[in-house]
Formats: sequence, structure tokens, C-alpha cells
Amino acid sequence: MNVELMTHFWSGTGIGLTPLLAHGDGFGLNTNILETNLFNLVIVIGLLVYFGRGFLGKLLGTRRENIAAAIREAEERQGIAKKALAEQQTKLAQAQQEAERIRANAVQAAEKVKAEILAKSEQDVQRMREDASRDLAAEQERVVAQLRQRAVAQAITQVESRLSGGLNEDQQRQSVDRGLALVGGDQK
Amino acid sequence: MLNVSNVLNSGLIAELEVGQHFYWHLGNFKIHGQVFMASWIVIAALLIASILATRNVQRVPSGMQNFMEYALEFLRDLTRTQIGEKEYRAWVPFVGTLFLFIFVSNWGGALIPWKLVELPSGELAAPTNDINTTVALALLTSVAYFYAGLSRKGLGYFADYAQPTPIMVPFKIIEDFTKPLSLSFRLFGNILADELVVAVLVFLVPLIVPIPLMILGLFTSAIQALIFATLAASYIGEAMEDHHGGEHE
Repeated sequence: MNVELMTHFWSGTGIGLTPLLAHGDGFGLNTNILETNLFNLVIVIGLLVYFGRGFLGKLLGTRRENIAAAIREAEERQGIAKKALAEQQTKLAQAQQEAERIRANAVQAAEKVKAEILAKSEQDVQRMREDASRDLAAEQERVVAQLRQRAVAQAITQVESRLSGGLNEDQQRQSVDRGLALVGGDQK
Repeated sequence: MLNVSNVLNSGLIAELEVGQHFYWHLGNFKIHGQVFMASWIVIAALLIASILATRNVQRVPSGMQNFMEYALEFLRDLTRTQIGEKEYRAWVPFVGTLFLFIFVSNWGGALIPWKLVELPSGELAAPTNDINTTVALALLTSVAYFYAGLSRKGLGYFADYAQPTPIMVPFKIIEDFTKPLSLSFRLFGNILADELVVAVLVFLVPLIVPIPLMILGLFTSAIQALIFATLAASYIGEAMEDHHGGEHE
């Protein structure tokens, strides 16, 4: 596309309402209101401002209100969220406290149960030990008595067998007396 | 050279001149000074508006910030509808700049009493009523959509010219020339025609009568800015579109 060519061809259309008389050489100010179209321009600009202000004002006002409402809404939501967060945080703190308390309680209870169990088992051990020693003593006693009985029985048997080996009345009596004295003294 | 005063008999106070320019010489180039001055004013207006809007940024926008945010939202939506959710972000500045520059140029041309200022030659007017401005904007758009296509698909972009059938290749190639042509001429023609009509009417009946046409001109100007920006975004979106294998997208 040859812009240069087009320039020459079309630049001819730059339009102007140039005053015939005021073909000056330099810059200037044209004060002719009719030529400069000032009258109509003022009316058009006035109309534009008059109608445009209302229209644009309403448009921009609505936009502004919408934005303000959106921001307010977002802020409200933020506030609610913050409140909820704080609430939940206090709840969390409470729950943690509760958990700590329960834990402490549990530790305490465990400690107590442990002490109880220890004491009970100690007691049991003690009791069992006592029982055992008691049993032992009883057995011992029983065995001793048995042994004694047997020794007595044996002695009696021996004595009887010896007695049946020819003793006279006196001797028998003497020996019975002696035996009686012996047993009686022994038994008391 | 069109000289209305000849047609309408002479003895009048003014003549309608076409093709007068305030030339500046820059090296070997002759440039249209009045267009540059008007462009600078438009650029300055946009810069000042941006600075005012961003100088004291509030959480709840008000005044200028609110207005500019609204404009930005509008441009973002425009770009998004043309280019698509996935890629539009990078192109908002380009399309937005096109729209804002053209829109402020057009409305500035229609609303600012430029004729108060006399130049040695030519007239101050909307920058968009000079073909050079609109061609520059249109060529930028061409460059932008070629860049978009090539950066997205590499040289495969040109392979898409044969989609859906190879018969399309010459048409697609012609399209690459007609796109900037139509963009620039549409904008230029509309703005120039509007200013011409208003100027002629002012010349014939100076008071009241041109007002409806001036208001119509404001409407056209805004529409033209919208059309230019929309088409530019559409071309960019089209260049980045996937033609082959429609499964992804």
C-alpha cells in the first residue's frame, strides 16, 4: 500500500472553513462567532453536558454503589468469618483444656489404681506367706505328735512283749508303777 | 479542490477549503502540522485523564477514577468478546488505546471550537479526519494481528490460509490488504464526511440548523471508534483462532 501516494491523493480533503479575508501568515485568533461555529458548539456541548451528566451520573453512581455494596458485603462476610474463627478457636482451646484435664485425671486414676494394686498384692503376698508358715507349723506339730504317738506305741509294745516274758506280780507291778510314773511324769 | 463559495456565488465571508495543510518540514518529509498539534492535544487529554484517575486511588471509586474504571471495564469486555477469555488480556491495552484515541479524537474534533485558532495554513480538526492518521492506525492493526497469529502459531499461521479449502488462499491474501484499507477509509471517510456536512451547513445556515447534524456526528464518531476497536480486536482474535483440528479450543 502506497501511503505516500494516498497521502497526496487524499490529503486534499483536509477541510477548513477558512475566512477569505483573514488569510494571515501566522497564528491568530478568529473571533467571528458565526465562522467558528461557536454558537452551535456551545449549544451542543450544553445539551451534551445537560443530558450526559444525568445519564453518566446515574451510571457511575450505580457502579459506585454496586462496588461499595460488594465491598461491604465482602467485609461483612470477612467479619463473620473472623468471628466464627475466634469462636472456633476458643472452642478449640476449651477442648484442649478439657483433653488436658481428662488426661491428667486419667494419669491420676492410673496412679491410684497402680498404688492400690501394689498394696493389694503386697498384702496378698504377706497373707500367703503367713498362711504358709502357719501350715508349716501345724504340719510340724502334727508330725511331732505322730512320731511321739508311734514312739509311745512302740515302747508299749516292747514293754508288753518283755512283760509277757515271765514277770512276777511284784516285778510287774513295780514296772507298771515305774512306767506309769514315767509316762505320767512325761505327760504331766 | 472543492470550492463551495464558487458554487454558491461569491461575495460571502467564507469559503470552504479542501486540501489546505499546515506543512512542517522534517528532513525530506512534509508533515501535516495541524494533525500533529491536534493529536498532541488528544494525547495530552488522555494522559491528564489517566493521571487524574490514578492519582488518588480509592477503594470505592468516585469521580474520575470511577469513570475511567468504567471505560476500562467497557474496553475489557469489548476485547474479551472479540478475542476470547483465554488470550484477551494482553490485547486490552492495544484495543483500548485504539478506541480511546479515536474516540477522543472524534469527539474532540466535533466539540472543541478548533476554528478559534487560526493557522498560517489549513485548519485544526480531529486527527482522524486525515487519512495518514487512520492509515497509521490501520497498519498498526495489521501488524498487531500478524504478530498475534505468528506468535501463536509460528509459520503455521500462513498454512491456515488454505483452510477450509485451498481455494481460499487468494482471498485470504487479498483480505490482508483490504482489512487495513477498509479500516482506514471507513474511519477517515466517516469523520471527514461528518465535518464536511457540518461545515457546509454552518456555511449555509450558521445558527441552530447544524445542531442536529452535529449531534448525529457525535453519534457517528462514537460508533466509528467502537467499530474500529471492535474490528481490530476481531482481526486479532481471528488470527489467533485455531482452524485445523477443532477438538482443542
